Amino acid sequence: MPPVIDTEKCIGCGLCAEICPMMVFRHKPEESDTPQVLYGDECWHCNACVLDCSQGAIRLRLPLPYMILNTDAANLKG
Amino acid sequence: MKEDIREYSADVLVVGGGIAGLMAAIAAAEEGASVILAEKANTKRSGSGATGNDHFLCYIPEKHGADMQPILREVLDSMVGLCHDKDNTRRFLQESFEVVQLWNEWGIAMRPHGDWEFMGHAFPGRPRVWLKYDGHNQKPALTAKAKSCGVEILNHLPVVDLCSDESGICGALAMDVRGDDPEFVFLRAKTVVLATGSANRMYSPAGTPGWMFNTAFCPSCTGAAQAQAWRIGANLVNMELPNRHAGPKYFSRAGKSTWIGVYRYPDGRPLGPFVTEATKEYGDITCDVWNSAFTDLMLDGRGPAYLDCSGTSPEDLEYMRWGMRGEGLTALLDYLDEKKIDPGKRAVEFMQYEPHLIGRGLEIDIDGQTSLPGLFAAGDMVGNFRGDIGGAAVYGRIAGRQAARLAGGRSMPTSGAAAEWRKNRSEYYLSYLGQGSHDAGWREANLALHQICNDYIAAGPHRVRSATLLKAGMEYLEQLRANIRQEVRVANSHELLRLIEVLDLMDCAEVIFHSAGERKETRGMHIRSDFSFTNPLLSDKFLLVCKSPQNSEVSFKWRSIRN
Ligand SMILES: Cc1cc2nc3c(=O)[nH]c(=O)nc-3n(C[C@H](O)[C@H](O)[C@H](O)COP(=O)(O)OP(=O)(O)OC[C@H]3O[C@@H](n4cnc5c(N)ncnc54)[C@H](O)[C@@H]3O)c2cc1C
Ligand code: SF4
Ligand code: SF4
Repeated sequence: MPPVIDTEKCIGCGLCAEICPMMVFRHKPEESDTPQVLYGDECWHCNACVLDCSQGAIRLRLPLPYMILNTDAANLKG
Repeated sequence: MKEDIREYSADVLVVGGGIAGLMAAIAAAEEGASVILAEKANTKRSGSGATGNDHFLCYIPEKHGADMQPILREVLDSMVGLCHDKDNTRRFLQESFEVVQLWNEWGIAMRPHGDWEFMGHAFPGRPRVWLKYDGHNQKPALTAKAKSCGVEILNHLPVVDLCSDESGICGALAMDVRGDDPEFVFLRAKTVVLATGSANRMYSPAGTPGWMFNTAFCPSCTGAAQAQAWRIGANLVNMELPNRHAGPKYFSRAGKSTWIGVYRYPDGRPLGPFVTEATKEYGDITCDVWNSAFTDLMLDGRGPAYLDCSGTSPEDLEYMRWGMRGEGLTALLDYLDEKKIDPGKRAVEFMQYEPHLIGRGLEIDIDGQTSLPGLFAAGDMVGNFRGDIGGAAVYGRIAGRQAARLAGGRSMPTSGAAAEWRKNRSEYYLSYLGQGSHDAGWREANLALHQICNDYIAAGPHRVRSATLLKAGMEYLEQLRANIRQEVRVANSHELLRLIEVLDLMDCAEVIFHSAGERKETRGMHIRSDFSFTNPLLSDKFLLVCKSPQNSEVSFKWRSIRN
């Protein structure tokens, strides 16, 4: 589901869980260093976690239905 | 559950730490008031301005000239212009440059290229009113400023109900969602500023039904202020006039005017009359003034409609990319890059998104006060003024300042009735906890609400409302309420919050049902099949609606729009 954390890169700082506007993550350091992506389908794709992670450990995966429809601009003619 | 509810108190309580809320808190603190700000998520990255914005509506006399009138006209003709008491708009414009300068001082680049620069959202030949800025760091910058002024920010503490007694507003009940178990907190204050943003997730996403977090504006903004103020009897205004945003299909995201291109039919003809070649100065404003075009063209088969940036100069394409970063569209940029969709070569289909509430909601006076003394409102949830980021910033400041001044002359409300009230309300919410495998969850409640809103308070184009549809829908809404009460149970504080959001959205829907019934005419996307004309006698009037907290009676009032 949307945010994907690279556990190799993550240092368990918890910032992503702290700032996510949708509260998608759960971070319980006593259970695991890396936050859990608990509510991935509630992600708004605002990219805050990606931008703020100091380790570059997060990437977003846009669900298939969110595909951006596009065509060759040269096709737009009569 | 603990017996005693934790309590905080301050002169001014601000609800919501988005743009308006942070600005209100800063202004109130600068006036010398003690301020607490309760935010659902974390003010550093919450709300519709979470990762940036790039157009700030404002009036800069040294750029626009000494006469404000042409600028006022531009605002009223723009996409934010439909529902304005003009005295509010004028006050906003007068104070806007001061706020622009403050933001610049606080570390938000308001003139990233040296001079004040107005770009996009503009009609050729007319004054440009949207200052192009780089807002990528606006939330962290405003949060730092608020902290430095002594504002106490309480994150992960959504407000769920407002508390008032005979002497007026006395605070709010909030729910701490940091742990799995919700903990209720009472926030006592002399005055309250509401700033919870727009209301999303009421209708199903137009492009991706079922994916309810695919919304152009922040899906954590769910009409809390409108619903909570409605429950204690405040006036709401213009709730029946639908608003729909537009943007790329199917990834819903505001920020359409950061794109620099021409909207076209599939045969290449431009959709609108404004430009044949887009530049950063004007863009193509067609989408601001005719955003139903995207729906019209799909339904009549002439579509789809595209945004074509292939004629845009390489310099302007680079400028567009830069703008998108400041606008907070980095997820979109990453996706385009990953899929190798080059906007300079590929035309992107656009669509009209589902209705949501922005610039529809609480009625405010010239100082940002609602119809309930001591209760203020600013930002996207105000119903008689709209200015998006600039509007939220400037009116947040006005409301916060006034709330602090009023608090100065008031004494702190004492508990009394509030103690009983908060116990009842928190027990009511907690009664939804305890999910069993056969119970319905909050999602079912949200999806069921979508269905009723889609069908019975539909918004145009091509969809109608009528007395019989509204009456039927209102009854179904009540049936849904009863079903939710009986069948929905949730597992933890996170899910309870989502459920409370749905309950708030249902109250917003209820208001729309009432006021759409009272507006016996067609206006904009409020299309009444039984009153299919626009009544000029209502053109200079607003419809106010409120519900008595004592006997639940709903009353309406038509009043003249203030000049
Ligand atoms: C991608 C994008 C681009 C945009 N670009 C522009 C632009 O360039 N120019 C422009 O003018 N506008 C733009 N907008 C709109 C602009 O962001 C909003 O108009 C602005 O953020 C409104 O400010 P606000 O304070 O009313 O609401 P928000 O900034 O959305 O803040 C509302 C806050 O309330 C909190 N909240 C919600 N419910 C509760 C509750 N019950 N208790 C406590 N807190 C709560 C939320 O978490 C949030 O922090 C854009 C929007 C988006 C999404
Ligand atoms: S912000 Fe990055 S490093 Fe910190 S916990 Fe999240 S993923 Fe790990
Ligand atoms: S993209 Fe935004 S909403 Fe999604 S997980 Fe990251 S911070 Fe949260």
